[in-house]
Amino acid sequence: MIVAENLVKDFRVHERGPGLLGSLGTLFSREHRLVRAVSGVSFEIPAGTKVAYIGANGAGKSTTVKMLTGIMTPTSGRALVAGLEPYRERRRNAANIGVVFGQRSQLWWDLPVPDSFRILRGIHDIPDAVYRRNMALYRDLLDLDALGNTPVRQLSLGQRMRAEVAASLVHDPKVVFLDEPTVGLDLVLKEAVRELVNRVNAELGTTVLLTSHDMGDIRAICDGVLVVDRGEVVHSGSVHELLRTADTRAVLFEHEGDPAAPTEAIALIEARLDGASATVVDGGRIRVEYPTGRWTSRQVMGLLLEHFDVTDCVAPEPDLESVLRRIYTGGRRPAPRPEAVG
Amino acid sequence: MRPVSTTVRYARLTWQLSAVSMHRLTEYRMDFLLGAGGLLLRVVCQVAVIGMVFRQAPEIAGWHYDQVLFLLGFSLLPRGLDRMFTDQLWILARKLVQNGEFFRYLIRPVHPLFSLLSERFLYPDGFGELLTGAGLVWYAADRLALTPDTAQLLLAPVLVLCGTLILASIKTLFASLAFWTTNSFPALYAANQLGDFSGYPLDLYHPSLRWLLTWLLPYAFTAYIPASYLLFGRAPLLPWLFAVTAGLVALALAVWHRGVDRYEMTGS
Repeated sequence: MIVAENLVKDFRVHERGPGLLGSLGTLFSREHRLVRAVSGVSFEIPAGTKVAYIGANGAGKSTTVKMLTGIMTPTSGRALVAGLEPYRERRRNAANIGVVFGQRSQLWWDLPVPDSFRILRGIHDIPDAVYRRNMALYRDLLDLDALGNTPVRQLSLGQRMRAEVAASLVHDPKVVFLDEPTVGLDLVLKEAVRELVNRVNAELGTTVLLTSHDMGDIRAICDGVLVVDRGEVVHSGSVHELLRTADTRAVLFEHEGDPAAPTEAIALIEARLDGASATVVDGGRIRVEYPTGRWTSRQVMGLLLEHFDVTDCVAPEPDLESVLRRIYTGGRRPAPRPEAVG
Repeated sequence: MRPVSTTVRYARLTWQLSAVSMHRLTEYRMDFLLGAGGLLLRVVCQVAVIGMVFRQAPEIAGWHYDQVLFLLGFSLLPRGLDRMFTDQLWILARKLVQNGEFFRYLIRPVHPLFSLLSERFLYPDGFGELLTGAGLVWYAADRLALTPDTAQLLLAPVLVLCGTLILASIKTLFASLAFWTTNSFPALYAANQLGDFSGYPLDLYHPSLRWLLTWLLPYAFTAYIPASYLLFGRAPLLPWLFAVTAGLVALALAVWHRGVDRYEMTGS
């Protein structure tokens, strides 16, 4: 449904000397340097899937989304969305897609929300039945009626975002691009937006491409992830696969013993498990973090069971945020190879 | 069949969007009254100045008081129509490229220029200009006991329409510069100010200014030339009107399209 083939986008940045003379200089000389925001991204997203497109700030996410939505033309390479090159056939493409840019509005600024929807109905030629069905759904899930007749410019960010998400879906698009769709929403409304997106995907087979800094959004909505770093895709697969690349895992446990003196327990664990660290967390539990390349969970559990009278034990899933942080900061170095147990 | 259905679609959308826009008239009644009031005050001042000038001399450069009033009134007709439909171009020039919000016109399945303009269809200030202009034309024509022939009567609306297209094209042209400079408000403002000259007889001006207003920024075709034709039944440059209009519309659209293609949405 979405195909990117070697997408490249360069921006011209005009060089300008310091001070007034420098500013005047730009009037006459057009010196510039090229900044490559996206350097040869390729991927394919099948119809009906929900994929998170994630990366650190400046990784080229937004630029890629802008090319896929037809807002910007790539410097080289090609994109196909529902069979069309978006930047070449903007109007036909616009009928196929829905877009939310969390930081920006696409509603009619000085009109109330219901008027915006009336206009969207007209410009998208939405059939009556579809329009009624969708509006009923939004009323139900997002409480759209509560926005009343206030002009969009007077709405709070949270109120506006509800309308933005609904507006991106009202014409039953084949693909929806969501860039920070839950920014400014409280927990209840975040849930509602996630449910709406999931429902539309399940009922209509809408393909979803999400970019978000909210890990909750990614976990609640997406089944696949594309991680971009420095303008390139560095990981592509399911959320689960991404989590398995974590280089640190953790085990939390409670044990019968002297809860006032956990230092002995910590010292014991750190001495026996090379490279691991243990800390006391809320409620007197001990959290053991260990490098996955060095120890297996079986070895860690075995050690704990051998030395402590364990009363409770949990091994939480690796935290997506820290996995991503490692990718962003650590680059693409391979995980260390497991060594023989000493 | 396709161009016809496209035209029908856009006409229907214009109608629908205009109807929605009428909300603004009721929601921002105070804005509307202030805008219309300010405009009226301006026209009253212009009329007063003309009145004072003509107290000194009954005829200036071959024009009488009522004829100048007619010209001033006629100049407001295309201006009012233009303002009713293209006011959003000011916002494009001032901030839509700068703050990245222009993107929204590229994700709607209608022509981006139409999409842009549609956000301010039936902008209230335009009504004031149109009504004041019509009032002045009526008043002056009555005092001049003008009896237009059939050709003049039939051509009058076409002249107003061409004038509107010329004004809209000049505005589009200068507002589109924002795609290169991110803010083209000063350029658009300057071009628009020059348009104020078109409400008076061009015979008053230095030939270089006259030439500029006829061939470079052809404001003369929006008021002076058509009004001369309606008043005196002759205007040597009138046959050029359609060519000038068509040329200018084509130029404005070409610049607009080049601008849109190089648009780079800023920020995240």
